[in-house]
Amino acid sequence: MSVSGTAPTVELSGVRFGYGPSPVLDGADLVLHPGDFVVLSGPNGSGKSTLLRLCLGLLRPQAGTVRVLGSSPRDPEVLRRIGYAPQGFRGASSLPVSVTEVVAAGLVPGKPLLGRMPRGGRRSVSAALEAVGLGDLSAECLFELSGGQQQRAVLARAMVGDPPLLLLDEPTTGIDQSLRPAFVAELSRRAERGVTIIAVSHDPDDFHEAVERILLIDGGRIRSLTHDEFHDHLEIRP
Amino acid sequence: MIGLFTEEFALRALVAALAVGAAAPVVGGFLVQRRLSLIGDGIGHLAFAGVALGILAGVAPVWGALAVALLGAAALERLRARGRLAGDLSLALVFYAGIALGAVVLSALDRFDGSVLGVLFGSLYATSWSETWLMVALCAVVVALALLFYRELFVVALDEETARASGLPVDSLNLLLVALTALLVTAGMRAVGLLLVASLLVVPVAAGSRLAHSFRGTLGWGVVMGVLSTVGGLVAALLVGTLTPGATIVLASILLFVGATVGGRRAARRHRPVVRS
Repeated sequence: MSVSGTAPTVELSGVRFGYGPSPVLDGADLVLHPGDFVVLSGPNGSGKSTLLRLCLGLLRPQAGTVRVLGSSPRDPEVLRRIGYAPQGFRGASSLPVSVTEVVAAGLVPGKPLLGRMPRGGRRSVSAALEAVGLGDLSAECLFELSGGQQQRAVLARAMVGDPPLLLLDEPTTGIDQSLRPAFVAELSRRAERGVTIIAVSHDPDDFHEAVERILLIDGGRIRSLTHDEFHDHLEIRP
Repeated sequence: MIGLFTEEFALRALVAALAVGAAAPVVGGFLVQRRLSLIGDGIGHLAFAGVALGILAGVAPVWGALAVALLGAAALERLRARGRLAGDLSLALVFYAGIALGAVVLSALDRFDGSVLGVLFGSLYATSWSETWLMVALCAVVVALALLFYRELFVVALDEETARASGLPVDSLNLLLVALTALLVTAGMRAVGLLLVASLLVVPVAAGSRLAHSFRGTLGWGVVMGVLSTVGGLVAALLVGTLTPGATIVLASILLFVGATVGGRRAARRHRPVVRS
């Protein structure tokens, strides 16, 4: 449920970025408002994760501008208001880490340095774990769980602080087909509350009920397609 | 056993060993989680060069060790952050350079004598009360700062890129962690020696990880293992009389690691998580 009268949450204008001589993104434009819930799709190497990393300030555009929540994505105050879930748990796994510790880590950037954790932090962690169906595994070690369960813990970490912008990289990968509708419905409820969501996915059909627009990165640019148009595109270019 | 500590040198040794044994795993947990287990060794080797340079400059060896350990730690972290310390080759070069520089300077000063063994393998019995309280103070500062920044250090240790993407001052936190390591290495120099001090950063934490299901639990068990290692190793050295306590402390920690691994496996068989896809 987009609130288009308000200031954009994500704004890319003429963005160019490449890792070598040929750019991955070239003249990419995108405007998303509070409540927009979109799927970002495209073939491997088309620039989906690159786009997320540009929005997170981890990469700088070689040309054009990226603005997130009204400011530069290199501003720490902006980054603290973004929930980011990479594809699977990508951190170190040398020592045991409980599921609760992983999810509670999502609250740390939102608190002042040396400050206390926000009030109701435990309730927020419990709610985030329930939202992804991990309530009964909160005390378990993350690395003893399946890949899908780890993915859900990472998603809970991104959502726990109720951020106004969620950037999710392949959020449904590894999650049981039977659990996907409930998870997508949870994202829809957040979008209805004004949260902007970009979900990178190879399989936009997972989001068919929740998302009207699929953003396809094609030739370095971003095209906005309906589900039917997206499938027509796949038939033309399998 | 209490009778062992009626002599003042033994009591001083116990106080110093307890401080290092309890503090080292608190920092070590973050290093192990980040696969930086060997950085304590690198800083220890550099601190040896610091001891020699301290003597050359006419200051107490501990201050030379502290200064070079802190500067070296910051330099190592910068190299690591820029991807120039990815392999073990760079760290090995730092090891050799530190030890060789220390040996060259000490021998040039005609100070390459038996006291070098005390720097490398510890000289717990020879610590004065002022040195003991300095070690306790360094350990207290390390624990206080680690606990103060516990949550931030944990988030970075968990996943550096996600921590950076969430606006945390990752570079500053990384510098803080290596600075704490340098302080701890300097504090442990007299207790177990510069060649062995890094083991107290790593082995008790590894033992703790066999018994816990969480990072906080691992640190808690690590502190317990660190204290048991230092007390156990010191008691063994005092009972036998001819053993060097630094080495017995480290061997005690290895024994505890083996015990925790066996005990942890048995506990794991009783506790199996529900794994559903």
